Amino acid sequence: MSAASHAHTEHAHGGDHVPHVLPLGVYLATFATLLVLTALTVGASYLSFGAWNLIIAIVIATLKAATVALVFMHLWFDHRFHSIIMASSVIFLTIFISFTMFDTQNRGRTEAIEGERPADIQNPFKASQRQAALMKSLPPMASGTALPRAPPPPPAASASAAAPSEPIVPVASASASASAAPSASTSAAAH
Amino acid sequence: MSTAETTARGGEQPALSPQFHVAHHFDSADTQFDAGRMGIWLFLVTEVLLFGGLFCAFAIFRSWYFDSFVEAHHHLDKVMGAINTVVLITSSLTMALAVRSAQQSKKELTAILLALTLACAATFLCIKYVEYSHKFHEGLLPGKWFSAVGFHTAHPGVFFAIYFMMTGIHGLHVVIGMILISWILKRTMKGEFSSRYYAPVEGVGLYWHLVDLIWIYLFPLLYLVG
Repeated sequence: MSAASHAHTEHAHGGDHVPHVLPLGVYLATFATLLVLTALTVGASYLSFGAWNLIIAIVIATLKAATVALVFMHLWFDHRFHSIIMASSVIFLTIFISFTMFDTQNRGRTEAIEGERPADIQNPFKASQRQAALMKSLPPMASGTALPRAPPPPPAASASAAAPSEPIVPVASASASASAAPSASTSAAAH
Repeated sequence: MSTAETTARGGEQPALSPQFHVAHHFDSADTQFDAGRMGIWLFLVTEVLLFGGLFCAFAIFRSWYFDSFVEAHHHLDKVMGAINTVVLITSSLTMALAVRSAQQSKKELTAILLALTLACAATFLCIKYVEYSHKFHEGLLPGKWFSAVGFHTAHPGVFFAIYFMMTGIHGLHVVIGMILISWILKRTMKGEFSSRYYAPVEGVGLYWHLVDLIWIYLFPLLYLVG
């Protein structure tokens, strides 16, 4: 960074570009660091750390990549903007991979949940409101035999509270869940 | 680091990079140099995202077919991968030193270092060729072409699809890098570069370091962890 500002203050306005030459030792030390880290990651692969294997490998690889980028690619001595450009690619790569895996890691889970609690597509919050009312009407940790402690349940909820094992399906959603079923099966077939 | 910046001084001899001139739309040689280098960095970002798609595919299929990935990765030669890693790191060093000697207007040294970088790249490709031909013989091939026997898991072909696609596109980058290094080697021999003007050497160097950087991730992910 000091080199960049140096070049600008002294050699602006048509002057020649004056390169920032690093000492030879810096390059050789970087090379030695990379060799040591390579030996470290190869050595670690012969030991077993379970799930940490991947994390250790990625951390060492990232240390090596940072060393290459900062010294060999001169990012440490370069304009900060070039570092921001490079960092942005890493940030967007992380978003890309992690958000994709939010999908691929959870495929097949929604079908089971929707099967238990089908959503009313026409009025998606209706079912959850009714369920919230139901949960409030039940004592904590309670199963079937309800001793309503707190405020008496509203009439609509008490009807379903009488039979808690019955799935909470609004009448209007019977057709909606029927129409949702094919889409669930097609998405299940997609993978 | 600031102690080293006075090592080289441009403009002492009028013969340095005689064809070089600052284009009229740039204030100074510095601005022109920085603009070109920023362009290279933007290009490197697109390269990161190109390989990013492949790394994403690796992450997904590894999580889906973890057993197959673990079993299949034992068929890669760790030692050859490690040797290739050292070869590429060495080529990165010689490339970085080539840029340094170009900054110091040392024409002969730059040419030697670029030739050494080329030799390392060729060595890398030769080792890769030995590895690939070994895989072909054993039938460790992508997807439906997978014909090796004795596997206990269901999807080793998926691993080799990812392996060949990632190392193949990386190998293509090595070939392109060799063409680019040959191009600046030729221009170095013609005496076009000096401390006044070495932007193409720096640009090709940045690209070459990125190729090294991609391999730094490929090696542990494919060969060591699987």
